[in-house]
Order: sequence, then structure tokens, then C-alpha cells
Amino acid sequence: MSGRAFAVAAVVVIAGGLLVAGLGLNQYYYFAAYVVLQYVVLATAWNILGGYTGYVNFGTPAFFALGAYTAVVLIKWLKAPLLAQLVAGAVVAGLLGLAIGYLTLRLRGVFFSIATLALTVVLQTMFVNWEYTGGARGISLARPATAPFYGSYVQFVFAVMVILAVLAVATAWCIERSWIGRGFAAIRDNEEAAECMGVPTLRLKLLATTVSGMLMGLAGAPFPFYITFVEPASVFDLNYAVNSLAMPMIGGTTTWVGPVIGAVLLGSAQQIATVTISSELNLLLVGVILVAFVILAPEGIVGLVRRLSRRDPA
Amino acid sequence: MMWTWTRSRTCAVLAVIAALVFGAWPASAQEPIKIGFGMALTGGLAAGGKSCVIAMQLWADDVNKKGGLLGRKVQLVYYDDQTKGATVPGIYSKLLDVDKVHFVVSGYGTNLIAPAMPIVMERKLVFPALFGLANNEKHNYPGYFQIMPAGPRPALDWTNTFLEVAIRQTPKAQTIAIVGADAEYPHNAIAGMRENVKKAGLKVVYDSFYPPTTVDFTPIARAIKALNPDIVFVASYPPDTAGMVLAAHEVGLRPKLFGGGMVGLQFAALLTKLGPKLNGIVNYDFWVPEPTLKFPGIDEFLKRYQAQAAKEGVDPLGHYLPPWAYSYVQVLGQAIEGTKSLDQQKVAEYIRSKEHDTIVGKVKFGGNGEWAQSRVLQVQFQGIDSGDIAQFHKPGKRVVLWPEKFKSGNIIYPYEKALK
Repeated sequence: MSGRAFAVAAVVVIAGGLLVAGLGLNQYYYFAAYVVLQYVVLATAWNILGGYTGYVNFGTPAFFALGAYTAVVLIKWLKAPLLAQLVAGAVVAGLLGLAIGYLTLRLRGVFFSIATLALTVVLQTMFVNWEYTGGARGISLARPATAPFYGSYVQFVFAVMVILAVLAVATAWCIERSWIGRGFAAIRDNEEAAECMGVPTLRLKLLATTVSGMLMGLAGAPFPFYITFVEPASVFDLNYAVNSLAMPMIGGTTTWVGPVIGAVLLGSAQQIATVTISSELNLLLVGVILVAFVILAPEGIVGLVRRLSRRDPA
Repeated sequence: MMWTWTRSRTCAVLAVIAALVFGAWPASAQEPIKIGFGMALTGGLAAGGKSCVIAMQLWADDVNKKGGLLGRKVQLVYYDDQTKGATVPGIYSKLLDVDKVHFVVSGYGTNLIAPAMPIVMERKLVFPALFGLANNEKHNYPGYFQIMPAGPRPALDWTNTFLEVAIRQTPKAQTIAIVGADAEYPHNAIAGMRENVKKAGLKVVYDSFYPPTTVDFTPIARAIKALNPDIVFVASYPPDTAGMVLAAHEVGLRPKLFGGGMVGLQFAALLTKLGPKLNGIVNYDFWVPEPTLKFPGIDEFLKRYQAQAAKEGVDPLGHYLPPWAYSYVQVLGQAIEGTKSLDQQKVAEYIRSKEHDTIVGKVKFGGNGEWAQSRVLQVQFQGIDSGDIAQFHKPGKRVVLWPEKFKSGNIIYPYEKALK
């Protein structure tokens, strides 16, 4: 997709999203779509580090929760508006990403993954014991009585999430098409060889962890106003890690469109499963789909489509 | 033939018009009154959530057998919230906007009630809630009615009952050790206990939280034993409750009073596991099969619940949660019948202003939607000689010590005496 076509598509999606938000539809659809869009941001963010660079990150809940708790602190301390919460959530989670990048420079493969998992546990323990943000029992937050531009706050946070999803995908698209994306791919394929060829692997890895963390924090920042109750168990939920990994795997990890396809498909399937079939089947659904894709289509839906189109004699 | 067909058709059309004009649809043709909720059917609270659904379905069956509410059948519409707060807003908007339920009630537990509050408040709905601790403290929403009998100041009233028992004993207790899990409920309970202890003038010799992942409680029990407190107050979740009781026995911890806020000692699983080790422990409860708590309908309810629970593999006793799950919809049903209306404000006003007869006794709500007066019980385990579940169906094993109104026996004091 050319730059111009992508820009047009992005503008159309944002305009369409804002329009849908303004229609004042049944609130359930906004809630369900919010969750799917949130996963578009998380899956895209995960893919920048996990897919492009090849560093599998299990720490999604840590970055997501840090974005959410940064918003909580700002709401409680300054009654800050959502825009300030978004900026602060992204910056704080980005800084954590940078720090984690430094701390885990020597770790690769499964050891890096374990370190990111440990990060989640450490941060969760910290927030369980921090009374200011409600500690283990969580904190209730009241949304502002009126929402900017829209009739209800649910429509407003949906509109915000549409913009964030496009922003995240645009970031991935820019990275993919720049020398940074090629650098990430070089690290993924062979880090030593890339280093020998003059690829600044250290700086690029730090950039990947920072940008990825930043976008995950951005996804978490509107969460307090979406749910109005934040407690460690729900924001540090391991499901965020599983889903943000499964979605790019299902969609395809090598392009920006893979996580989007995976998030829309799996996110929607989960939303439907929650209110139709038993939720016990919900996680099973993710597991079975993931295993099926790893075996049958290791490059995800995008890879599968490419493979099939190559076979096409035309 | 043709004439007959035309006449019957004309009659049918006229009947429809008459029904539309006069609202004279027969009751059986009306759509049921739908009551919607999210419930933990998977995740950490699934065992409790499943037993709640059984109880609520029994209530719906009872109501429908008697002809329904306002002549309409009752239908429960529910989804699994997976014990995750993040699913709750979506579930409640689905219930209200897609399923078009007439009323919503809460799921089980504080953390799953809280995320539903904004939707309920925005739409000014009546909201019966199940086992939430101080969910309405900040909102002070007038449509909120919480069925757990913690009282108007939940954190304080809950733990105060334990001290009420303590201060009435001789020799008088002077010192107390407070210990609990580093998690939501213990934090609330211990915060209340600290205030109550100050008022009671007791000296705190140990006050500490342990990580929720703790598996070995012997170091904690040893540390407390070394300080030799008169009272040991424990606020714990089921796995650590078992751990603390076993550790106390292992190290020979013998305060004058032991227990207070241990969750889990109300369920068959822990009662049968711990058996005689429970003797002497004084702990909170909400209902036990003592003669002083035999409210109309409770025995019959438990019989039916227990038959169902055995099939579904949930708590076979059903003394803790299920009667309350039955009662919070029972109150709603009584309010709908009492007001002869589905109007949220009228129903809320009815619940607020009246006293309700339920299978857990008379329920009266106060200004903040909590019980007007606390009815947290303190019971003592007495005469338990094995892990046989049958004994817990009978009175005399969990003797009510507090409140006076429901007292069913005398305390064995100090704790050590009950162990002999």
C-alpha cells in the first residue's frame, strides 16, 4: 500500500469511527468495539517488538497497567483530562520500555520472555501495595458528567480508541517502511550478522522496546474512564499477554496488517463468545486457533494468503 | 365455509384491536419480566458464582410456579463475567440495550459490582447487589441495595462483632495480633479492626500482611506465638485460612480467642478438610443452621439447593452464599409485586422504605443501601469430631455467640479449652 493510499485509508477510518461514535447507537456495540480496538493497539504494539524484532514479550499487562495506573494517578491528583492521561500514560510506559530494554540487553529468546513476565509480577506487587491507587482492593473513579463532543462518555472513549488504533497502525506502517523496520528485521533474522553489517542493534532494540511500551501504555490510559474501576487483578491480567501475542500470530507477524486482522478476528470472536457460548470456551478458542495457525499457517493469515496467491497460475 | 372463515378472521382482528386499545392481552401472552446479571461462572469466584445461579434459578422457579410477577413469568438472563471486572460494562450494556432486560442485579463480589455502577447510575436503575463491601461509599447512589448484612459501616461493623465477643469474656483480653492477606477484603477488614481496637483499648502486639501467594504459614504462626497475644484476629481468603489454622495447630498457638475474619470456614470444602481442628475458633458467618436462625422457607430452600448442588459439583452445604443470592432477587420480586410496577424509581423507593421478609430473615436497608443494622454473626466451632459433612447440617456445631438476638449457645473460653 502506498503512502498516499495508507493516509487516505487512515483518514477514512478515523472519519468513519468518529461518525459511528456520533450516531448514538446501542451502547453495547461501543463497548464491544472498544475492546476490539484496544486489542488492535496492543497487538500492533506487541508486533513491533515481537514480530518485527523477534523479541517475544510477555509483559504486555505491565505496560498496559502502567498506562492505566498513570491515568488513575492523574485523575486522582489533578483531575486531568483524558488527553493528558493519554500523553502521560504513553510517556511513562515508554520510559519503562526503555528501562526494560537496557536491563535485558543481554537476554535473548526465552530468557527475555521470562524477564518480561517477571516485570508484570514485580509491577503488580508494587501496585497491590500502593495505597494511593487503591492497593489490592482497587479504586473507583467517576467519569466526568459530560463528554466532549458526544452524548455519552462511552461514545467518546470509543472515538478516542479509534484514533489510537489508527495511530498505532500508522506507527507500525512507518516503521515497516523505513530503515528502522529493515534494521528490526535484520535483528530478528540474525543479530550478530546485523551488528557486523553496521546495523545499530542496541539503539534499535531500545527503540523497539520504547515504542512498543509506549503504544501499550496508550492502550491502557483510557481504561480507567472506560471501566471506572481499576484493580491490579484486572489490569495485570495475563490474558492481555496471551491475546496480544496470539493476535499477530494469527494475522501474521511480518506486516502491519497482520495484527490488525488477528485482533479484529480474535477480538470479535471473543466478544461474541462472551455473550453466546460459555466463557470457559473463550480461552480455549484462543488456544485452539493459535495452535491451528502455528501448525497450518505459521506465517498467519497474511502469509497464508501470500502463499496461496503465489500458487495461483495467473 | 367462506362465510365462517371471514367471520372468524374479523373476530380475530377485532380482538387484536380491542387488546391493543384496552391493553387486554391475557397474562400468558405477555413477554416475561427479564432480570439480567453478569455472574462469575469461570475464574476465581466461579464456585460461588455457580451456586448463586442455582439459588436465583430456584427463586425464579418458585415465582413462576405461583404465576410469576404481575401475572408475567420471570426469566433470568445472565452471562459469565469470568471474574473479570473488564467484562462487566459490556455485559450490562448488552443486557440493557440488546436483551432489553427489565431489571439488572449485580454479580457476586465487590470487584464485579463496581464496574457496573456507572451504567446503573447513568440510567437510574434499581440495583440489588450481592456481597459487595462498601461499593456505594463514594457514589451514595439511592438505587443501590446490598444484601450481605455487613451493616451501614461495613468495614467497622464487620470486625466489631468479633471484639464484642472478646470484651465480654473473663479473664479480659489485653493484647491482640492482627494478621491478614495483602489483598482487597483483608485490607478492608483490618482497616476496620484497627479502628475498633483503638476504641476497645487493646494493645496491638502484631499487625502485618502476608503476600497472597504465601503457602507456608508456620513462620507467621511462630512469630505471633512468640508475642503471646490474648486475641489473634485473622482476615484471610480460603487457601490461607486453611494454612493459618493448620499452622496454628502445628506450632501450638493458643491465644484466648482465635479467628474473626477468615473466609472459607463457611464452605463445606474447608469444614470437612479441617474437621476437629476447627474447634474453638470464633469466626464471622451470615447464616448457620441454628434454631435461632430458622427463618420461614430456609430449610426448604436448602433441601432443593443441596439436591441441585450435588449434581453441579458446587458447595454442597450452601449455607454461605446461596440463601443471600435467593434473597436479593426475592426482595426485588417483592418490590415489583408491592408496587405493581416495573418503574425503577417506584421499585427502588419500595425497597428503601419497607422491611422485607426473606429466607434469611427480615431485611431493612439503610440510607447508603447497606443493611440498616449489621447482622454479621460470630459463631464458634464446637464439638466437631471428624470431617464428616453430615454434622454441619445440624445445629450445635457452629454456635452463634453474637448478636445477642440470635445467640444459640455459650462460648467455650479460652480457645484452648475448646481443643480438649
